[in-house]
Amino acid sequence: MQATPQRTPLRRIGAAALLTAALALVGCAGGSAAPPAEDVELVDTGAEIEEVTVAFPGSLANLYIGQESGILNYNLAATVQEGLVAQDAEGKVVPALAESWETPDETTYVFALREDAAFQNGDPVTPQDVVFSLERAADAEASPGISYYLANLASAEVTGEHEVTVTSTTPDATFLTSLSNTGALVVTQQAFWEEHDGAVGTSSSLLMGTGPYRVTEFQPDSHVTLERVDTWWGELPPAKSIRVNFIPDASTRLAAAQKGDVDIAFNVPINQAEDWGAIAGMRVESMNDLSYVGLLFDQRVPPFDDVDVRTAIAQSIDRAAIAEKLLRGYGEAATAIMTPESLAAAYDGDEARRVLAEEVPQHDFDLESARALLAGTEAEGLSTEITYPNTGPQIGIAAQAIAENLNEIGMDVSVREVPIEEWLATIGDGEHGIGFMWYFSTTGDPAEVSSYLVGPDNPNGFESEEAAALITEANALSDPAERAAKLLELERLNAEQVVNAPIWWGKSVTAFSNTVGVHDYSPFTFTGAWGAQLFAAEAE
Amino acid sequence: MSPRTRRPERGGRTARTVILRIAGVLVILLLISFLTFTLLYLAPGDLVKNLLGNRPSSPDAIAAIRAQYRLDDPFLVRYGDWLLSALRGDFGVSIRLQQPVTEVIGARLPLTVLLIALAFLFAVVTAVPLGIWSAARNGSAIDRAVSAASLFGLSAPSFALAILAISVFSILIPVFPAYGAGDGGLDTLWHVLLPALVLALGIGAILMRMTRAAVLRELESDAITFARARGIPERRVRGIALRAALIPIVTSAGLILTFIIGGTIIVETVFALPGIGQLLEEAVLFKDLPVVQAITLLVAAAIAGITILVDLSYLALDPRVRARERAA
Repeated sequence: MQATPQRTPLRRIGAAALLTAALALVGCAGGSAAPPAEDVELVDTGAEIEEVTVAFPGSLANLYIGQESGILNYNLAATVQEGLVAQDAEGKVVPALAESWETPDETTYVFALREDAAFQNGDPVTPQDVVFSLERAADAEASPGISYYLANLASAEVTGEHEVTVTSTTPDATFLTSLSNTGALVVTQQAFWEEHDGAVGTSSSLLMGTGPYRVTEFQPDSHVTLERVDTWWGELPPAKSIRVNFIPDASTRLAAAQKGDVDIAFNVPINQAEDWGAIAGMRVESMNDLSYVGLLFDQRVPPFDDVDVRTAIAQSIDRAAIAEKLLRGYGEAATAIMTPESLAAAYDGDEARRVLAEEVPQHDFDLESARALLAGTEAEGLSTEITYPNTGPQIGIAAQAIAENLNEIGMDVSVREVPIEEWLATIGDGEHGIGFMWYFSTTGDPAEVSSYLVGPDNPNGFESEEAAALITEANALSDPAERAAKLLELERLNAEQVVNAPIWWGKSVTAFSNTVGVHDYSPFTFTGAWGAQLFAAEAE
Repeated sequence: MSPRTRRPERGGRTARTVILRIAGVLVILLLISFLTFTLLYLAPGDLVKNLLGNRPSSPDAIAAIRAQYRLDDPFLVRYGDWLLSALRGDFGVSIRLQQPVTEVIGARLPLTVLLIALAFLFAVVTAVPLGIWSAARNGSAIDRAVSAASLFGLSAPSFALAILAISVFSILIPVFPAYGAGDGGLDTLWHVLLPALVLALGIGAILMRMTRAAVLRELESDAITFARARGIPERRVRGIALRAALIPIVTSAGLILTFIIGGTIIVETVFALPGIGQLLEEAVLFKDLPVVQAITLLVAAAIAGITILVDLSYLALDPRVRARERAA
């Protein structure tokens, strides 16, 4: 399930400054690749940690992922609330509140809840609580941000003392993942929800969950405090408390780290990665974050209904240069919408990259061909605007480079930074023919992003029964390899029609103090019970 | 002053003036509420998109959310609903935070008031004496130094000043905390000092220049020349000039207090302070109408209150105004 990039306050970067940066970087003959993380050997000391201080690049307004569903909301809730299932470091579905499950037929899931499952207030988790949470999550008013992902939910019933039976309307390979905290289900207590009249996740109600940490304090624009509990079914975590500070300004965040006030910093801006890495006693780690950046074309806006125009634009994107030079290696040139990591169940990383590059038609960078294609179309000489969200300065740098190329092939494209809320409103609004799509996949399911961008209700105004059928067929397949093959067909359709032009798969840069280590660090770490993965470390 | 035969009711006219002014303020607040409502309605962005995020959504879900927040009602009906509730003292629930607006603002107001009060205090106690001093030594090296300092304060953008202040006073010379509001009490005061100083620098510079100009004007006035000609000691002459200059100084201080409110948005963001400024910025971007309306009205009422107080201060400062009051 997706999560919007986090809203953070305006970082005013003049277009001129961006362009200069872009040109300077393009001009660097060598280009600077992502510096390899300093080789720090960490040893788990086994000690307890009093408090881990985490810096978030923006504030959360509400802690319930149904109410506010940014990636940071998912990250925070992941160590507080659980779904029936969870995902391990490879993205495989593993038990969470349910210790096991059976699928008597392809639309029925029978979950056996852990008998010792308890909420953070000590009350046992009842099957009724699970059903109640699921119904709230599927309700558009109670959970606007996540209800779509339970559109396929047919029923949820208590079928035993520790048993819940959930059914989907059609066979659906993504259904199980949607019942995890990375999807749409975070189990809360019915009594707690009703006591607060559904207004959960606020500074006065906080959250009730079953994870290893409970929220003890929340002040929007300031901080969230988490304390470990002994009610979780897993092992008692070493860190007694976690304090998440919201520091919207990037310079202030860096200053706080330089003062030694930060143990973990999420989403370090890539242009600051070197500064963070230079702080004594800190290390910077980049990790594929299952995010996708690409261009989307609104086919309801001429001339973007012309496939030649879309193809020409796709051929004007120098993906390799953007990934290596502009993103300094903190991103990988995308050959498709779905990430190689999302195909882990079917292929290992290198194999997935090879398959995507070979099976999906590529629009290689070729300005000559692009110019020839664009000649004589309505787009020749067209003046248009492309906006990007202020929370993604790296997108702005890429936008300048792309606009530059489009100007060379005969289009006049201006780039404008807007607040993320304004950018959201431009997606598929029927006015902006060309725009950026920036999407953080939380489940890592291969269909998550492509079904949104090519399937029914897509923001591209692309209507295709073939695409809808492919998604339905793919989701009805349980064998990962067969499913991947179907989804590759969907990617082929996307590439042939140039519905979307993939640009890069993102990496998140996280800074850690060398006093804190993380077990099994992977793209899925921070969408799992990450508080319990932290340990007291010493650098060797 | 000779005793008068017909003493009017003391302050009767003043009371009437104040009541009229308050009535005027209420009309202005009504207009501002309508204007804010309209501007937010027209601003780019879409509340439904903000709630749904960047994700697929079914038409049913969109319809449910539109119905929940009554987005399909006509514009004037929505404004009327808001107004009727507000008149009853119900400012609604923040859409973004899902909490009553009064609760949200109440939780943040103390910090912003502290920040503004401290900044104002710093600005007044430094800028007014400096301005007077600089006017008294017009053209000297001191005057030029003070003017140069105020030019820096005027022209440096506050976000740059804030970042500079953090680099110098919390990293290079680790005296102050870099960010946040601390844990209440003295700790919070300690955390707010640096942001308040940054905020004070810009407004202090304006206040300094206005003070200097006002004192210079008075020192060069005919009344002062005449007083000197009569042989009144220079110290008393200065006293007379200062007293006359107080009126423009107080007026500009009142105006400046209203300027501060814009500066708080930037300072609160850079220093990660959970105050009204950050709240307003986020609410505007999110189109969280109940919050925007409540903060706008609060700020407008505060500005109106300050203006009335400044006007009343003329009574204390200017004998001519007092005389007019009595002569009514």
